Amino acid sequence: MTSYLLALTTAAALLAGACSAAETPAAPAKPAPAQSATSSAVVAAPRYVQAATGSSLVFTFDQAGAASKGSFGRFTTEVAYDEKNPTAGSLKVVVQIASIDTEDKDRNETLLGTDLFAAQKFPTAQYDASSFAKRADGTLEAVGKLTLRGVSHDLRLPLKIVPTASGLDLSGAAAIKRLDYGVGQGEWKATDSVGDEVKLQYKVSLVKAK
Amino acid sequence: MSFRNTTRTWGSLSKALHWIIVLLIINQWIIAERADALPNGLAKLQVLAWHKSFGITILMLAAIRLVWRLVNPTPDLTAETKPWERVLARLSHLLLYALIFAMPLTGWMMSSARNFPVSWFKLFQLPDLVAPGEQTFHQMLDLHHLLFKVLVGVALLHIAGALKHHFYDKNDVLKRMLPFSDIK
Repeated sequence: MTSYLLALTTAAALLAGACSAAETPAAPAKPAPAQSATSSAVVAAPRYVQAATGSSLVFTFDQAGAASKGSFGRFTTEVAYDEKNPTAGSLKVVVQIASIDTEDKDRNETLLGTDLFAAQKFPTAQYDASSFAKRADGTLEAVGKLTLRGVSHDLRLPLKIVPTASGLDLSGAAAIKRLDYGVGQGEWKATDSVGDEVKLQYKVSLVKAK
Repeated sequence: MSFRNTTRTWGSLSKALHWIIVLLIINQWIIAERADALPNGLAKLQVLAWHKSFGITILMLAAIRLVWRLVNPTPDLTAETKPWERVLARLSHLLLYALIFAMPLTGWMMSSARNFPVSWFKLFQLPDLVAPGEQTFHQMLDLHHLLFKVLVGVALLHIAGALKHHFYDKNDVLKRMLPFSDIK
């Protein structure tokens, strides 16, 4: 009985907390825009984590003149996002390099090898953004850093965020240069048969963090 | 030498298509052998890209050739050609035409099945014919190899027929397809 009451009060407290968290940004929202970002950072934006299904991370690269596709099957995403104060959001993605799939075993193996992703030494790639920015057209982008094969570079990722019944849907597309991150050593530094530019397309289903 | 065929001899376009396709097929065989000898890597990727580009070239020329054959007279075999020879000639020509389509098409399907889309000399990309799948790839690979063996067999029969006409029957059947012959 006591434990039941305890659970109930905890739930109520959590609910109250969630409500106030959702509401507070609205109250001190008006000051200067620069200030609102800092003041609301104090009140943490609601947090979301990747849902079990419904997410994809696809990359497209030029191979001997043909756009070829591959994907990463395993990655985790954490997002903090408040619709009323979107720029205070944050995004963290960890990609398991070994989950690469280009629909061809031999090519997957080559990609995981030392001259390309060097998956044994660098098993994950990571993207970290501690703020979002509004672009000229009003859409959002994450302002962060991509660490791939042990090399970090600033990278802005366009984000389209749509609220859903259980959380958020996040999607977008960006392009990176593989050689900036050293993905391509030895003969793979050449870009005539495997292009330097790699396009990324991401779609992540997120649920509210517990 | 006329551009179009006549009932007596092949025109210059038919001859050009015939011999360019012959050279391209020999080239394809050499490139394929080179690719097979290479380990997986950049060099193999490049060699196979050439193989695909030339293969698609053969497919395009095959389409032109088929249309040209249909809108042109076909030089007839000589009157003394025996019926079984006519049947054999017709059958082998039919097979050769089918093979210059089937070889590139199965190769193209191999590429699609392996998710290595085909580009024509990096100028444009071709659509994928089948969905990626390991089993489809191996089926197409086996078929591609089998069709090549059939092609070699029929080509040898074709050459033997041409040589028989030339040296045994002593008619113009071989000469009228030679690049610089001029038969009226």
